[in-house]
Parts: sequence; structure tokens; C-alpha cells
Amino acid sequence: MQEITTYLAPRRLDEALQAMADGAATVLCGGTDLAPQTESGARQYTAKLLNIRRIEGLGGIETKGDKVRIGAVTTISEIRCNPMLAEIAPVLVEAAEHFASEQIRNAASVGGNLCNASPAGDMIPPLLILDASVELACWREGAVQTRLIPLEGFFVSPGKTVKRPEELLTAVVFDRPAADFVGKFRKSGPRPALEISTVSVALGACIADGRLSNVRVAMGSVAPTPLRARHVEAALEGKPLDAATWAATIAVAVAATAEDAKPIDDVRASAWYRGHLVRVFVEEVLNEVRGN
Amino acid sequence: MEKNVTVSPIAKSTLIGQRVKKPDAPDKATGKTRYINDMVLPQMLIGKVLFAGRPHARIVRIDTSAAEKLPGVYAVLTGKDAAGLKFGFVRDNVALKDKVRCEHDEIAAVAAETEEIASRALELIKVEYEDLPGVFTPEAGALVGAPLVHDNFPGNKSLHFEFKHGDLAAAEAASDCVVDSVFRPHHVTHCCMGTSCAIADFDHNGKLTIWTQTQYPYNYKMDLAPALGLNPGDIRVMQPPVGGAFGSKLDVYPYEPIAALLARKTGRPVKVIYSREEEFKAAPTRQAAIIHMRTGCTRDGVLTFRSADVLLDNGAYTSWGPTIPVIMMRTTSGHYRVPVVDFKAQAIYTNNPYAGSFRGYGNVQTTYATAQQMDMLADMVDLDPLEFHLKNAQISGEVTPQKSFLRECALVECLETAAAASDYSRKRKAYAAARDKPGRYKKGIGLASSIHNAGGAKIHKSDGIGTILKVDDYARVTVITGASEIGQGIDAVITLIVAEELGVPVEHVTIVNNDSDIAPWDVGVHASRTTFIAGNGTRRAAQKAKAQILSAAAKMLNEPAGTLELRGGFVVRDTCGTPLIELDRLLRRMHFQNVPELVMVTDYYEPNSEPEGAKHISDHSAAYSHAVHIAEITVDTLTGEIKVDKVTVAQDVGRVINRMGLEGQIEGGIAIGLGYALSENMRIEKGMLRNPCFRDYKLITAPEMPPLDMHFIESNCAEGPYGAKGISELPTIVIAPAIANALYNATGVRIFNPPMSPETVARAIFEARQAGK
Repeated sequence: MQEITTYLAPRRLDEALQAMADGAATVLCGGTDLAPQTESGARQYTAKLLNIRRIEGLGGIETKGDKVRIGAVTTISEIRCNPMLAEIAPVLVEAAEHFASEQIRNAASVGGNLCNASPAGDMIPPLLILDASVELACWREGAVQTRLIPLEGFFVSPGKTVKRPEELLTAVVFDRPAADFVGKFRKSGPRPALEISTVSVALGACIADGRLSNVRVAMGSVAPTPLRARHVEAALEGKPLDAATWAATIAVAVAATAEDAKPIDDVRASAWYRGHLVRVFVEEVLNEVRGN
Repeated sequence: MEKNVTVSPIAKSTLIGQRVKKPDAPDKATGKTRYINDMVLPQMLIGKVLFAGRPHARIVRIDTSAAEKLPGVYAVLTGKDAAGLKFGFVRDNVALKDKVRCEHDEIAAVAAETEEIASRALELIKVEYEDLPGVFTPEAGALVGAPLVHDNFPGNKSLHFEFKHGDLAAAEAASDCVVDSVFRPHHVTHCCMGTSCAIADFDHNGKLTIWTQTQYPYNYKMDLAPALGLNPGDIRVMQPPVGGAFGSKLDVYPYEPIAALLARKTGRPVKVIYSREEEFKAAPTRQAAIIHMRTGCTRDGVLTFRSADVLLDNGAYTSWGPTIPVIMMRTTSGHYRVPVVDFKAQAIYTNNPYAGSFRGYGNVQTTYATAQQMDMLADMVDLDPLEFHLKNAQISGEVTPQKSFLRECALVECLETAAAASDYSRKRKAYAAARDKPGRYKKGIGLASSIHNAGGAKIHKSDGIGTILKVDDYARVTVITGASEIGQGIDAVITLIVAEELGVPVEHVTIVNNDSDIAPWDVGVHASRTTFIAGNGTRRAAQKAKAQILSAAAKMLNEPAGTLELRGGFVVRDTCGTPLIELDRLLRRMHFQNVPELVMVTDYYEPNSEPEGAKHISDHSAAYSHAVHIAEITVDTLTGEIKVDKVTVAQDVGRVINRMGLEGQIEGGIAIGLGYALSENMRIEKGMLRNPCFRDYKLITAPEMPPLDMHFIESNCAEGPYGAKGISELPTIVIAPAIANALYNATGVRIFNPPMSPETVARAIFEARQAGK
């Protein structure tokens, strides 16, 4: 068992990044994943514990031009209660509604949810359909360096991302969705709180001239990482919304889920049930997007 | 009239049936209560247990030398330190093992200054195992040539039970309809919010004091003693407040003798407390079983027979779990008027976690089967299930094949009340008609009922309770009782009864029931017995005290005997309520007169039930009771999610004592039953628990609790205190099959292998639709 010998809670980003430069710090924000994981032994603390919550400029939700930026330490509750997001990206608010419980939403951060890289991370599918990117910062050659990685390429495997140990996720950014963009999120679980999604599906599309365009579909808990369901997207791109062909469109999209979703059996659900739920949810969110 | 008494007449009133708060509630709600888990004694060490973490293995060698050398470690114990100290129902268990029979087998234990040191010491213990092939289902355990869990239990056979009544072959021949199904009730666990904990300390005379969560302190001594080689008389059992028990603390589990062995070795108090993960793995489970049940009826819907062939997954050791057939057979034989009964049950050792006692005690599993088969038969003979139930319902005065005498039976009233309150028959028809119409969400309504002992269960030599009651110079009453408070609310019942009898405020009653050296004997909190048994004991003691007080008062006040009463803290004239003297003043006068008289009385109450007996033909409870639940649900036929919209409860409670406590027990019982029905499930794969955490073991949370419409049927039990019957287990027993029957009403699908989890339901509906295509 590693003992924590250093605890840091810097106010400035550069201080934090310098502390991380040796790649050996454990980053703490809400702690809602870190605490149970270290408790269960799934993860070990390193000697240095770095609390990033107090860093100025790492929180908040803002728009600059057509860019939306959500700081890494923004809590799920802040997303849930943000009136601007409710207007321009309600799918994020919807996902935040279904996130864990009130207490956890008050502590958990969006950055933590992404870095935890759980296939079941609730904020990930909606951010994937917003085509979000993550901003990674590190201290190199005496200065703060940042890079932007598309979220879709961020996840490697359960708990693993392309973020290097010396890097800190500072923000998630996405383009303000077009006015005709509609996004919907659905996760499973009968329990109104504290339900780890067996499967989650987010679907977004622009609706214009009676057709779907720019279709983006994301799924959680159907593969080692959350993913963009490219086959379902292709099946839907450009499809008309008219009643005559809609059932066929749904059937094609539902059938295409088999190409994208490769779920496994585990303690929470069987592969069969996950595949079944994906089909149910894709149909459901499609109908919601269409406005049925 | 005594001078200074200027109070106007005090009218007769009663607390029986009122809402009285639990005396422990304010401290518990504000966090002031010091649970056993919070306790720290001077010089106390922390004990930790090394679990095997594998289901079946031989221990090749074990090396504790590095752990012993770690500074701060005071003792390291292994199987050799507990060798020969067998305990348990069939003496098949030992505190520390020399062979691994299940995942949580205790291999070694350490006592250290801190939990951290103890944990580090465990890591330093080297154990070499040789894994053995295991048996993980009772069917596999029963096969010829199956690996043996215990060498001295051939065929892995544990307990066996049988009961037969009537001619089964003839009854089958006379049946027009027979349902034949196999139910597979699953493993669940109690999930007490306070995890398992014990603190042990020896004095220099060799007497053990153990602070424990036990719910049966007196027999506990008897059961713990052999695990330590002690005389039961040398054990003092202390019962600090506990965070729940629900039956789980009705036995001795290895952590308790381990704490004592460590205490004996170190000469210091030792506390063993489980983490939540340890609790999931090491605490007892509800008994999993395979129930092959058949029930028959005539085409008019009259029951002809019921047979049950039960295979129990004993797990690795025999606790109370495999004894549940005692109650399973009472349901099989007594749930409605069943003329012919054939019941047998065999428990088979496996390398799975082992089952203990759990609220409902076998009746949860049996009723899941019987109540569904009632519904299935009603369907076959094309009767409204309500009508079918009414046709076969017992009435007062009937005796079941096992000789349970239903003195006051309110089953018919329960059925009619619940059905009318929920509009059952109309809704059932409408929902069934809508079953095959389009639509993703389907509504269903389901009726289930059961019978349970409600006046104790005489499975021990006595089902009695001792009570000592004293009234001090200030008219404060102390009740020293064997009845344990484990959160169920007996303290509130006792204070209410004393206040009722002696006319004092409930706040003036103190209860001492946490020290086996002080309080007199009681069987324990189980079998829905404590309000019934301890209620009677308390009432009898209070009435003895009252008789003494009123007799002294009559003499002192020169009033005719038999004309006085105690009300509102006064001695009053019974007829007009005129206060004659304050009770406390009278008590002081009694105490300090020439021939002093102190009010302190004792009572031993033994209910008029018969011992269970080896043949299980006896009137083993002083009362029996019924409950009917009608569940209304909405099913998402695609995801399989069941939302429980409402539950209507009609239960024969005999008489309401503490209305608030009764409501709480029914709510809590239904919460446990709903978890069993819908979401709780120990995922045990090859003997290993895969979901030892609340993230993946899903309890019912507050938002999922449906509205409850409760109807208390008062049958006025002659033997019960004020007419009351025991109430606490039926709510847990009846709800699951009510939901199962509602699911059938909604979808035409039946689930024989609970829980009715979304996946199980979705798959069943999906497969039924595939088959129908």
C-alpha cells in the first residue's frame, strides 16, 4: 500500500502542471471514482496527491464565438443546472439528470468522468455526439503546452486514455450545435438513482427538409470504450422522416447496431441483453429525435 | 381526597393503536446513537481475518512468521488455534479453518494496534493452497461421486425434512387440473447498514464479555461456547445498538469466536468489524433452493393436493438456512385448505456461501411458489383468482394438516378488503384483455397471500420470556427484559404497554435489554414473535405491579378494593376518574412506611403453543396470521423494467399496538421483499461472489418504494397482548409473488427464477414473442 506523502492543492494551472511533470501524481477532483477504486484496491494512490479543484480557470461553462468550453472541474450538477447548456446542448443536461445521485453529481466533475474512461461513463456518449474534443495540458520547456484531441480518439480501453501521465485534462470543447440539431440520450436502469448504465445510447442529427443529416450516434457499455456507432450513422445519414419509410429506416438502423455494438457478458448484464437494449434504445431515441 | 390534588377527573383513554415514536429514533436520526461499530474500549486491538478467496482447497502450508514480526501485531492465529472447537447446528464449522470449503473461509486472523497494521500483517501471511474440484449447485453436490465438501457428510447430505398427509396418488387422480413447476429462488443477503462486528474481552477469571449484534443473546451463549471451549455460563453477552439484523444475527458466525480467540491470546479487548465487501462475502444469505411444486384442484376450483420436493443449496456450513423447511412445510401444508400434502426437502452441501436465517425464513421462497401456483390454477379453471382464493380460504377454527390451529383467522376478510380497495377483479380483466394489444408498456395487477406463525414458533424447548419490572420512588418504570431491540421497535411496544397499564407517560419508561447478566432469558428476536411474546410478558409484569400499587393505594386511601385505576400519573376512582393521589407520592409512601414496600415484580411468560417435534405435527405457534398483497405494476415490455405503481396490503395484525411501528415494519418488510423480487441477486459463479458491493448488488432505494395502501384487519387474538399478533415477516413474504402474478397479468409471462430483473423479464417476453411468432 502506497502512502501519500505529498498533498498539493495549487491555485494556478502552471503550478499543477509542474507538479505533474514527473508523471507520478494522482489527480484528485471530485474523488467519486478515485475513492472507491483505491478503497477496493482497483487503483493505487501514488505518493503525490494533487487536488485540482482550486485551480483558477479550470471550472465554468462558457461560449466564445461558436465554441463551447466546459472546464474540467465543472461538476455534473453545474452542467445539469446550466441554462445556456439547456438551450444549446440539452442532451448534456439530460445525461447529467441521469448521472448517479444528487450527492455524487455535486462532487463529480466532467473531466473526471472522461479521464475515468469507463465504458459506462454517462457524460461520454452525449459529448461524442456533440463531436467534442478534450484539451490536454502539460508543462514542457518551461511553459504550459496544450493539445486538442477529438474525444472519439481519447479512449483506449477501460480506464485507459491517450492522455499521458504528465498531462492534465483541462477542458472539453465542442462547436455550438447547429440550430436544427437535435440530440437525445437514453440509459438503462430502472433505478432513478445510482444506476450504472447497462447500456447507453446518444443520438444526434440535424433535421432539415424532412431529412436526417449530420447523424451522430454514440454508445456506452457495448465495447471496451464508449464509441461512435459509425454503421448506424451511415444507415441513417440522409434518410427521410416521412411516415412511409420511417419504419424501414428504423429497421435498418437497428440492424446496423450489430456492426457497432460488441457487448460482453459481465456481472451487470449479458451480451444478449446489452445488444437487445441497444436496439431498443436506438429505435427509441430515433423516434424522439424525429419528434414522435 | 388528598390535599394538593386539584386535577379534574381523568377520563379513560388508551394508547393501544396510537402512533408512538420509537424511543431510540431521535438519537438514531441525529447521529447520537453509538452503535457497536462506533465502540472503542481502552487497550482495544483490531482483529482482521484472512479469507481464503477460493471456493475449495487444501491448505498445504501456512507461514505467519513475517506477520508475527510486524511491529504492532499482538497475535496471529490459524486453524491450529481453533482445532477441535467445532460449532454450528451439526458441528460442521470452526472459527479458523484447516481446509477451504467456501470463498470466505477464515484461514487466519491477526490482532494489531490499528486496522492498517492488521491489514499489512494479513498481506504478510503466506498460504499455499492446493485447489480442489468443487460443487456449486445442489444438483451437482448430490451426484454420485461428487467431490465431498465435508468428508464426514457422505453424498454431501445435510439436513433432511419430510411431511406427508393423506393419499397423494388418490388426490392426484381426483384432480382435474395440476400445475407442475420448478422454482429457483436465489441467493440474497441482509445488507444490514451496520456491518458485522464483535468486541471480545476476557477477565482474569476466564469469563468472556462479548459485545455483539446478536438477536438471540441467551441461546447465543450456548452456541458460542463450543467454538471457544467455554462453559456457556462464563459468557456475558452485551448488546449495544445495532444497524439491523433481519435474522442474520440469529446464529454465531466465525468472526465472533475469532474476536474471542484473539482476545484470549492477547489479554486485551479485540474488535473485529467487517468492511462492506467483507460483509457481502462473509455474512449469511437467504437460502437458495430448487422447489419442484405441484398443486391440484377440481374443475370447480377446490384444492386437492400440494406436493413440494425441495433441494436446498446448503452452502459450505450448516447455519439456519437449511432448517427453513420447518416453515416451508407449514406454508406448503397450510397455505389455503390443502387436504393432501407431500413435502420433502434435502439440503446439499456445496462450496457456495452458506445461508442463515432471514426475515420470512423459508416462507419467502415457498410462497413465491404456492402463490403463483394458486394464480396458475385459477387461470386453468377459468376463475377470477380472488374467487379461487376465497373458495379455498380457511376460516377461524380450522386446523391444518400439520395441526396449526387457526383460532382467529381473517384470511377471507384480508382477501375481500384488499380486492375491494384495489378494484382488483375489474383491473385484472381489463389488463389481461389489453395484454396482446399493441403497446410497449403494459399494466398488470397481481394478488398473493400467505400464512405465517404470528405467536412465536416453539422450535426450542421453550418459547418464553422473562421480565423484571420495577417502579421507583418517582414513578419511573424500568423494564428489564430478555427481548432484544434490533431496530424492529420492541422498545416502543414495551413503553407503550407499560404506559397503558400503569398510566405513566411513555417517556417515563426505561428498558434494560442489553446485558445477559442482567436481563432474564428469552428465545430471541425471530419468528415474528417479540411483540406477541414480550408484549404479553410486559403486560403481565405491569399488571402485577399495578395490582400491588392499587392494593396498597386502596388500603392507604381507605377505598374499596377493585375500585381504583392508574391514569395520567394518578391513582383515580375507576368509574368517575377522580384523582386521589399522585402515583409517585403513593409509591414513596409505600416505600417509606412502617412496613416498607417496593414495587418490583417478575414474570415468566410461556405461550400456549406446542413444541415443533420431530414429526412436525404440532400447533407450534400461539397464533397464525395471513396477509394479502395486491401489486399494481407497469412493465416496459422492451427493457423488461417493472415499475411498481402501488401495493395494497391487507394483513391480519390481531390488534394494532403501535400504529407507527406497524406501518414502519410493513414498509420495511415490503422494501426487503421488493429487492428480493426485482433487483437483489448475489451473483455467485463457481463459489465466488461477483458483486460484493452496493453498485452491483441493487437494493431498493427510496424513490422506488411504491405508495402503500395498508389495511389492518383486527382479528383480536385471544392469546395475544390486547389481541395483537406478530406481524413482521409477512410483508416480506407476500410481495414477490404478488408482483410475479401482476407480471403474468400484464404480459402472460411467468418468472420461476427470481429476481424479476429487467434482463430476466425482457428475455422472457422476447422469447415468448419469438415462440408465438
